[in-house]
Amino acid sequence: MNDMSIAGRGKLPSAEEAALVKKFLNDTTLFLGPDPEIMQNHDLMPRTADEDEAIAKVADSHIIAKIRDRIQAGCDEGYEMVEQMGAAPGAKWGDVITGVYSASGDLAIASAGGVLIFSALVHHPIKFIIKNWINDPTVGVREGDGFIHNDSRYGNVHNTDQSMILPIFHKGRLVCWVASTVHEGENGAIEPGGMPSMAESPSDEGLKMSPFKVVENYQIKRDILTFLQNSVREPKLQYEDMKVKLFACLRIKQRIEETLNTDGPEALVSTLRLTMENVRAEVKRRISEWPDMTVRTYIIQDSTLRENCVVKINCKLTKTGDRLIFDFRGSAPEFTNRATNTIVAGLKGMLAQVFLCYVWPDLPRGQAAFAPIEVITDPHSIVNCSYDAPNSQSLMSIFTGFTAGQHAVAKFLYSCPEKFTKVHAPTFNMINTFVWGGVSQHGETLGNLCADLNGMGAGATVDRDGEHALAPIFATMADIGEQELNEEEVPFLQLVSKKMTRDAIAPGKYRGGQGYTMMVATKDSEQWGFMTVCQGAKIPPLQGLFGGYACGCYPLSKVKGVDVYDVLLNTPEKFKHSIEEIMNEQPFEGASYTTHHMGMGFEISKRGELFMISQGAGAGYGDLLERDPRGVIKDIEEGLISPAVAARTYKVAFDPETLAIDEKATEEARAAERKARIARSRPYSEFVKDWSKPTPPTHLQYFGAWGDDVETLYMGSPEKTRDAEVPRPNYMPHPKDVRIAELEARLAAVGAMGGEKQ
Amino acid sequence: MKRVSVDIGGTFTDCFVVWDKQYIEAKALTTHHNLAMGFNEALGKACNVLGLQLEEILSAVDSVRYATTLGTNALIEHKGPRIGMLVTAGYEATVPLSRARGYGEGLDNLGQQDMPNAQRPNPLVEAHMIRGVRERLDFQGKRVMPLDEEDVRTQIRELVNRGAQIIVVALVNAVVNPAHEQRIEEIILEEYPSHLLGAIPVILSHQVAGRKGEYVRATSAIVDGYLHSTMYHALSALEQNLRAHRYEKPMLVIHNSGGMAQLNSTDALQTIHSGPVSGIGASEHLAMLTGLGNVVATDMGGTSYDIGIVVDGGVKHYDFNPVIDRWLVSVPMVHLVTLGAGGGSIASYDRMYKTVKCGPESAGSDPGPACYDRGGMRPTVTDADLLLGYLDPSNYAGGSIPLNPRRAKSAIEDSLCDELDCSVVEAALLIREKVDDNMANGLFTELRARGYDPKDFTMLAYGGNGPLHCCGIAQNLNIDRILAPPLSSVFSAVGAGNMHQLHIHEQSLYMVLYDSNTRALFDDYDRFNAIVADLKERGTQDLLRQGVPPTDIRHNLELDMRYGNQLVQTTAVIDKHGVDGPADVLAIISQFSADYGKRFGEGSQAPEAGIRINTIRIAAYVQHETVQFEDIKPVPERERKAPPPPAATRVCHFVGQDGPLETPVWSRSDIGPGVQIEGPAIIASEVTTFLVNPGWSFVAAKQGASWFLRAKIPATTY
Repeated sequence: MNDMSIAGRGKLPSAEEAALVKKFLNDTTLFLGPDPEIMQNHDLMPRTADEDEAIAKVADSHIIAKIRDRIQAGCDEGYEMVEQMGAAPGAKWGDVITGVYSASGDLAIASAGGVLIFSALVHHPIKFIIKNWINDPTVGVREGDGFIHNDSRYGNVHNTDQSMILPIFHKGRLVCWVASTVHEGENGAIEPGGMPSMAESPSDEGLKMSPFKVVENYQIKRDILTFLQNSVREPKLQYEDMKVKLFACLRIKQRIEETLNTDGPEALVSTLRLTMENVRAEVKRRISEWPDMTVRTYIIQDSTLRENCVVKINCKLTKTGDRLIFDFRGSAPEFTNRATNTIVAGLKGMLAQVFLCYVWPDLPRGQAAFAPIEVITDPHSIVNCSYDAPNSQSLMSIFTGFTAGQHAVAKFLYSCPEKFTKVHAPTFNMINTFVWGGVSQHGETLGNLCADLNGMGAGATVDRDGEHALAPIFATMADIGEQELNEEEVPFLQLVSKKMTRDAIAPGKYRGGQGYTMMVATKDSEQWGFMTVCQGAKIPPLQGLFGGYACGCYPLSKVKGVDVYDVLLNTPEKFKHSIEEIMNEQPFEGASYTTHHMGMGFEISKRGELFMISQGAGAGYGDLLERDPRGVIKDIEEGLISPAVAARTYKVAFDPETLAIDEKATEEARAAERKARIARSRPYSEFVKDWSKPTPPTHLQYFGAWGDDVETLYMGSPEKTRDAEVPRPNYMPHPKDVRIAELEARLAAVGAMGGEKQ
Repeated sequence: MKRVSVDIGGTFTDCFVVWDKQYIEAKALTTHHNLAMGFNEALGKACNVLGLQLEEILSAVDSVRYATTLGTNALIEHKGPRIGMLVTAGYEATVPLSRARGYGEGLDNLGQQDMPNAQRPNPLVEAHMIRGVRERLDFQGKRVMPLDEEDVRTQIRELVNRGAQIIVVALVNAVVNPAHEQRIEEIILEEYPSHLLGAIPVILSHQVAGRKGEYVRATSAIVDGYLHSTMYHALSALEQNLRAHRYEKPMLVIHNSGGMAQLNSTDALQTIHSGPVSGIGASEHLAMLTGLGNVVATDMGGTSYDIGIVVDGGVKHYDFNPVIDRWLVSVPMVHLVTLGAGGGSIASYDRMYKTVKCGPESAGSDPGPACYDRGGMRPTVTDADLLLGYLDPSNYAGGSIPLNPRRAKSAIEDSLCDELDCSVVEAALLIREKVDDNMANGLFTELRARGYDPKDFTMLAYGGNGPLHCCGIAQNLNIDRILAPPLSSVFSAVGAGNMHQLHIHEQSLYMVLYDSNTRALFDDYDRFNAIVADLKERGTQDLLRQGVPPTDIRHNLELDMRYGNQLVQTTAVIDKHGVDGPADVLAIISQFSADYGKRFGEGSQAPEAGIRINTIRIAAYVQHETVQFEDIKPVPERERKAPPPPAATRVCHFVGQDGPLETPVWSRSDIGPGVQIEGPAIIASEVTTFLVNPGWSFVAAKQGASWFLRAKIPATTY
């Protein structure tokens, strides 16, 4: 690390001493790690003298608009190239961004398509390059250079994302940067696919590329490429996509050079700067129109992906004047050896997504849209983890952080006079999909995941049901793909690929969009396995809105001891196309049927073993007793809900054969339920008295603040806490050790240990 | 040559008659309740020009060809039968979920970004009308689960009981092994025999689309099924009308693949967008005959700006997964991009950037621009064009729509002038500049994404607003040559008159030409050759069925190829239709590499990652005699003539010019071939306004063609 305190034992150093010490430290830096000055700041860099000068020369808003549109077209062209040419599944489903950055490293203009979270995240590595490499004689930044990067501690969401970054010069002067970023997947981590949940330290997380030069004279350096290929499971992917990103950057560069030639460097520099400043000012203006108030909410993570536990994401959103402040203090402390932590920049990236897609979708993409919004977190917390904490499953915390933000923002939108989209309940937020890896039927070593992570159910809105499996919370126009094409390349079949999961609902006056069932089984490889990396098997990771409900819980189910392909061919009648039927009826003799939380570590699967999950539903909106009975019946017809659940939940009376609604009986049932609610109700003070406890329960491993006190963070038991400001190691025991201890205790209890000692 | 070709659009039925050396353009209003009436009226007008009766013409022509937007309209209006659908069990939600992204297909960028407002379009098949059948094939077509025929019968009966009027069958991996789909069709016929009143039409997905992708193929089959009866009845009525007027040859229908066929070889999906595709066909034909080189065809109307690319050398640009209305489908369609920019595009103040934005909202034709005086209150591009002096308020659209400048002025004043702190004219200039920029950026992205440089292209400008905006757009792109084509008022119908009978057959496959793991080249030559032979035979049979002599049939071979596991499939056109050894394999690889490098940049090729063929495609076609254009190139500069005195002058304002310019106005009918007019100038016709910007010249050519040439471009360029 390159920063340390120079105040010693009460004596403040003089300015001269401080300068000397600083010089000494700079000259003796062991390692240029992530720079907190860069990583903690998401606002725009201050205007430079060059930018002032450029703006003084070119500030006509209409000229600026013309140039901006042209650069936007260039970014979109680059994006399309990456999406088309990219080999990573992520590139194909749009987990990509291309953009133009100011000379100071701020993202000014981003491609219209792709993953928005990047728009607040990929500026950090460029700022690192500017700060450390430009003037370093052993590195330098020259025309024709290109830099690569993936370590999320230096920026980016997680280590699966790789960026290619090119400086753009005009007559020897650095005028801007272009970059393209792709979710590559495989990165040589302890598990295939690039997002290991088994990682217990950053050393388990695979490639950790701090920003470094990999391109000179617009050519990828073969020695470095070879090193990178040698460090991952998919050398082909590493090669192909480095090239793709480079050529996409070169295409954007062409567009910029045209602008430089026709309009001059000042016009370009001014366009980039004013674009960001205008957006930032507009965001401030919009915030100022929101009501001054505070909304508190929280989301619970129900596992670390290794064990069940209760992990709090605490969120207080305050608006005052033109300031909007997300306060995540009180969220769980970071896990020292679990991968669900995130760097704070990742959290900010997802919060930016809330605004760009769910609040102000008309805003242009770029760093400026989130720049003026403030974020407060505890240090060394699950939403602002330290350098030494693993974060390969940061999605767990940035997604739940997103939902906390989305849930809180909805309350503001409801009261906001000018709306740019609909008030809505939270979207489902977990990547319920299969990560896979191994050797394919074609002998290729692969590691990646099914695009079904993009099938998150949408939350209901103020006036209609949520759309089923609409889009991931981190992107728009994302694709869940074509199974026929996938099967050509991977040795497993989705025997159930897209079938709505019945009764996996989030009820409300308007119900959430629902998820679908996936059943997979390996077919043509003996070296193939799966993992799942989600939470929400025991506690929903969402909250409903204005009386609407959260989604259900979605466990992982497995059937082992069967070759389902034998069954399909020889006794096909035994196979059922729903988890419900297979797990309840257990049709395959001799097989084992189990359910699990959704954090399955990478597991080699035998031919024909079934792994089954469901996508989740978006949250419901409004009181379910107000739901139009015709909507309930339509849900039954479409297989979204069973008649029994429909009647029980929505209090709708209907003929089970014809589904004809009995309007009168429905009214009566609903009136009775309203009365029953009143009967169950209690004065708030009474409720609080019984409900509120001074400490978390002892039988649950609970992490985070409890009640209103956000100064104390619980670390798994009422006895173990830390001061929110003071880091403390937070190790979890290995689940296998825990299991062994449990089994040994049982053996000991029945006297079966036989005196064995280790 | 004697020929009739027709483009039945939403508003007009355009008719183009070739009668030996005479080319006649005629128009009539489209009669939606019976398309034959509009056709007869338009053709009747042509008869009057020729002094002949309808029967005399129809009994003598070699063919009658139709392009039509009928299917497109039926989709937009959501008029179709209740479809029942059978899919592989476990895939029941494939269509309703539309690959997730289906909510945004066919929408503009804002519509795609706005997630709380995201809503999938009303389905063509209701979710409860989709049933799973118990069967499964793997990616090679091997049976994983046999077809449960009893289950099939049960599901069919349930669908029919629920009101299915047509059944679409789309099973996983049916393109590599259609046995299960075919057996289901047999079962349906057993249950609902075709000779009985309860017969029900069946569409099998593998027959509609030949490539892998269970969702896009299913959607293709659904759209086809949805339009089937509408198209069947409408086209049959047209055919009966022809028969009643002594036309005895087969009626030909234009396909969106850029070819045409008889009704017995046409499915409904192939007719979608056949009108605009015919326009691109006409551009291609014109470019080829007159040596224009690369051409970008642009059609700017009231609400949209259609772009098509025609490249010298005959490389065809197709969309293999085009979006039709809101539906992503899987049929090869001539590449066509539509931008939301036209005369009706609404201009508004961009508060964030303190400038003007234009579109994508459009005032359309109802209420239309504010100056139409039909209740539109928001300023549009046409309002700006009017206030800048380009349009004659009393003679717009041949005088059919009187324009009210006061309305245009107040709309711009109210919406823009205060915010921008500028005059009405300044605001109008900003609107003008913005919409031209938008279109230029769209064109730029379109050409550059395919590896082309816009300045290497001639722009073809047609449609009501094309010649009015083309100079501004071209200037942004460094394009120096614009052609408003001959016969432009019926240009798509002209294109229909030049189509060839063509059928495309393709097969998805997993064929590795170079395996990077084993470092081996492809050597299963028999497999490759057998597939090519089969596809050729299918195309040949299509044409033989239409009475084409076998000796006239030609074939083109195209391969969709990729490096490693890319998404993109670059199409390589292969001259040799067989593979006999490594040299042939390497030749294919080399052709692919050249095409890929041209598109994405030389050096971007990645053969080290492996090379695959994903689709083999055969186009089987027969060439017909075509319309001959005269030499429409501008005459050499020394031979150009001065124009007659202008009919009038108007005060106009131009982007980039300080102050107003006194601008001469001519009538297009007064300008003969060879006349050159320097900009600024306005040349008005009944259907459009040719606006010649300062720095540009207008040169009239034969057959009503008009050139816009950037100053100082020597005539020898052509």
